[in-house]
Amino acid sequence: MTTSTAQVNFDDPRPSAWPPVWMIWKNPIVRRYCHSRLRLRGLGIWLLVTLLISGFIFFAARSASIHQGEMELVDAERTALIPLLVFQGIILFLLGTGQVAGGMTAESDEGVIDYQRLAPMSPLAKVLGYLFGLPIREYVLVLATMPFTLWGLWRGEVPWGISVQLYGVFFTSGILYHLTGLVAGTVVKNKRWAFLVSMAVVFLLYTVIPQLANFGLVYFRYLTIMPVLEESWPYLIQRTAGAAVISVQNLLPKASFFDLNFPQVVFTVFSQIALILTGIAMLWRRWRRAESHLLGKLWAILVFAWVQIVLLGNALPLIEPGYLFPSRGLDRFTGRFRTGDWSPQIWEAGAIVVTFGLSTLAMLWIITVMITPNRETRLRGWRKARKLNRSWLSPLSDPATSWPWVVTMVTIGVAGWYVFAKAVVEAHWFPGQLLHPRALPAFALVLMTGGLGFHAILEGRGGRAAGLAAIFIGVVPIMAGTILAIVNEELPAPAIWMGAISPLAGVFLSSSISMGLPDVSPELYRAIPRAFWFWQVLGVLVLLRLTLALRKSLRTTANVADEREPLPEFEAPEEGERLPAG
Amino acid sequence: MKNGIDEAISIRELRVDYGDFVAVRDISMSIPWGEVYGLVGPNGAGKTSTFQVLATLMEPTYGEVTVAGYDVLEQTSGARRVMGYMPDLAPVPSDLKAWEFLDFHADTHALGGRRDRRKRVDECLEIAGLREKRNAWCRALSRGQTQRLVLAKTLLHRPQVLILDEPASGLDPLARRELRLALQRLAADGATVIVSSHILSELAEMCSLLCVMSDGQLLASGTVEDVRRELGRSERQITVTPVNGAGKVREWLDDRGGVGAVREVESKVHFSFQGSDEEQAELMAAMMASGVRIKAFEESGSSFEEILIDVAERSRGQ
Repeated sequence: MTTSTAQVNFDDPRPSAWPPVWMIWKNPIVRRYCHSRLRLRGLGIWLLVTLLISGFIFFAARSASIHQGEMELVDAERTALIPLLVFQGIILFLLGTGQVAGGMTAESDEGVIDYQRLAPMSPLAKVLGYLFGLPIREYVLVLATMPFTLWGLWRGEVPWGISVQLYGVFFTSGILYHLTGLVAGTVVKNKRWAFLVSMAVVFLLYTVIPQLANFGLVYFRYLTIMPVLEESWPYLIQRTAGAAVISVQNLLPKASFFDLNFPQVVFTVFSQIALILTGIAMLWRRWRRAESHLLGKLWAILVFAWVQIVLLGNALPLIEPGYLFPSRGLDRFTGRFRTGDWSPQIWEAGAIVVTFGLSTLAMLWIITVMITPNRETRLRGWRKARKLNRSWLSPLSDPATSWPWVVTMVTIGVAGWYVFAKAVVEAHWFPGQLLHPRALPAFALVLMTGGLGFHAILEGRGGRAAGLAAIFIGVVPIMAGTILAIVNEELPAPAIWMGAISPLAGVFLSSSISMGLPDVSPELYRAIPRAFWFWQVLGVLVLLRLTLALRKSLRTTANVADEREPLPEFEAPEEGERLPAG
Repeated sequence: MKNGIDEAISIRELRVDYGDFVAVRDISMSIPWGEVYGLVGPNGAGKTSTFQVLATLMEPTYGEVTVAGYDVLEQTSGARRVMGYMPDLAPVPSDLKAWEFLDFHADTHALGGRRDRRKRVDECLEIAGLREKRNAWCRALSRGQTQRLVLAKTLLHRPQVLILDEPASGLDPLARRELRLALQRLAADGATVIVSSHILSELAEMCSLLCVMSDGQLLASGTVEDVRRELGRSERQITVTPVNGAGKVREWLDDRGGVGAVREVESKVHFSFQGSDEEQAELMAAMMASGVRIKAFEESGSSFEEILIDVAERSRGQ
């Protein structure tokens, strides 16, 4: 280390101006990853492999079409487009997302993430820097395959509008998945787990999630490129086959949102941008303050309400035409629905009502985890409040209890689920079928005991206790009930009684009760409502106990934070959040 | 005063909690411009938590903290522009070369175009004595070189306030000496440096002001002598080498006020003395006046390590 060389000059800390955040190529973090991930040595091999595979796909598909399939040249040029798209999807969606999640976790592992926190760039610039910087190699590899795609689109006479919408959604989907990876990388501490979790999310989006769309959750389809790919399909295959597909497509609905109809591409981009903004908001909060919850309480409620609205908005218009029912997906291929002899079965209505309830409960749990403070956060909040001579915590702040917000979400969830169930059960497909008046209290009880009970354990006793409760109350009773039903077919009622302990089974049973239990044996007809109401009433009692324990825990935390004098016995109006001034 | 700001760093009633553990307990301090300020204390004293709050990396439970006049909670971006932070066991990315690492951070601080950045990168590599390692991979650097590279990174944007958490850890004695000289030169150039170290004697040599922390509390602050006095260890060790027999000196010292633990070792007399400089001068004059002929005498204070070990033990005992 030298001691007398360069001038330091500490009096001029003023930097030159930062480029606007949208100038991604000037973002320092993007440029940093251009250095590290685009070195000729590492990139060269990846480029070679990518060009070999994409070249093979292109020439093999084209040659086979011309020489084996005896297609016209225009049709032959199109045949490589879909395999190339799949290959590009593997690179950008799977590898890119894994790289983003793993790269972000590696930054934390190495400890260099603190340097980026210290950089005086805006949080948004940092989020965008990582979003586009970490998968920079994957973007370059996809670009390397584009000459083959552009050739196919040009010589295959694919309309430019179709090409633009397909690849536009391809890239917005990529950004959405990378953002998911970035969130996973920020939250998950282990690099390998972050890598696997994020890739699993993408994998599920293209395997399991589309199946959920067949069970009423149509919205999830718009998180993939599938709707736009289906719309573009006729232009990516042989022209004669494409014309046939267009005639079938004319019978299918556009993207519906209540009474509005949109082209698939518009609704897909709209849906994805809404989620991209939410993801950016999460990361922005974390970059601004490392200890922040991923979502603020108000934003979280809005996200929950928004998801309920889009689920309903997409699903309700498809009930009367019948497109929402699972068997319709199958019959679309058999052509039976076009001859008019198709109608949904009542079990299908039950299945989609259960699916909606389960997704609501799952969403409720996920957001509850995001906005619920742990004891340490609460304690810090209270200490700060007491120092500032305040006897309350701002209800929107991270340390404040999330109880009122979970209650709000439960209310929204019950309303959404009820509206959905009523529309499905009372559709013209099921003449004379009415949603039972007990549906509303049944749905309310399920989400109350399941949602608020989970919250009370999470906030009062911590994440580990909540996780164990989810396993031993949520899953194990269903497993035990299933085994009981399997080992002895004559024990369906005890199996129901056992399984009904779980809130997840509660979703199933409440839906059954709401539809009047058609087509069940007399034994089950008696057991299902009895088991349901018994466990729900017991659940409410347990919930009351847990809520009281939570109030006590909140109050204890507030007292521990106050190092001056203990507070008198509880008399606060809002779940222990308001305390006597002092 | 600099740019109308009185203090480089101001901390008022800072508290940091980890659950029930109080890492920093309502401390206040202010650090003037141009000082090398040392933060000393045993492990778990709260030094790193204090540094992390100063560096805007951690939100305190409460407290007001300003760096160069910027509130670290409300004006985070401004504070980050004027400060440089070097963490304990400073990490570096494994996938960048030394110059790329510095160039990236120069870019994040918007230090101009490519040419300006490269010039500044080379300057800082020169300051850190790493010019010959410019193209080396960060992962290939030794621990000491890594520390110096991160110090170079910390200096890139010409920070007015440098916050260095254990910067000497991993450095060999020569590099430590160079670091000490470099920090003193940076302070002379106008920077304010706040530094923590577990090598306490070195910190005492390096810093113009010191502050001792233990169990999240400030125990003493000021110059090294102030701290020594404040911690109640103003006792000095005096060694006298008489010409005509150590026994006579030992006898004379017995029962003198302020004198304790008199020992005779190989014609030398060692004793401790508790008192002011004036009282010590009077004692020596009286000894000479009594006819004792003294060839040499030597004074030493309690070592700083001893003081801090004592403080830490007392603190734990409480």
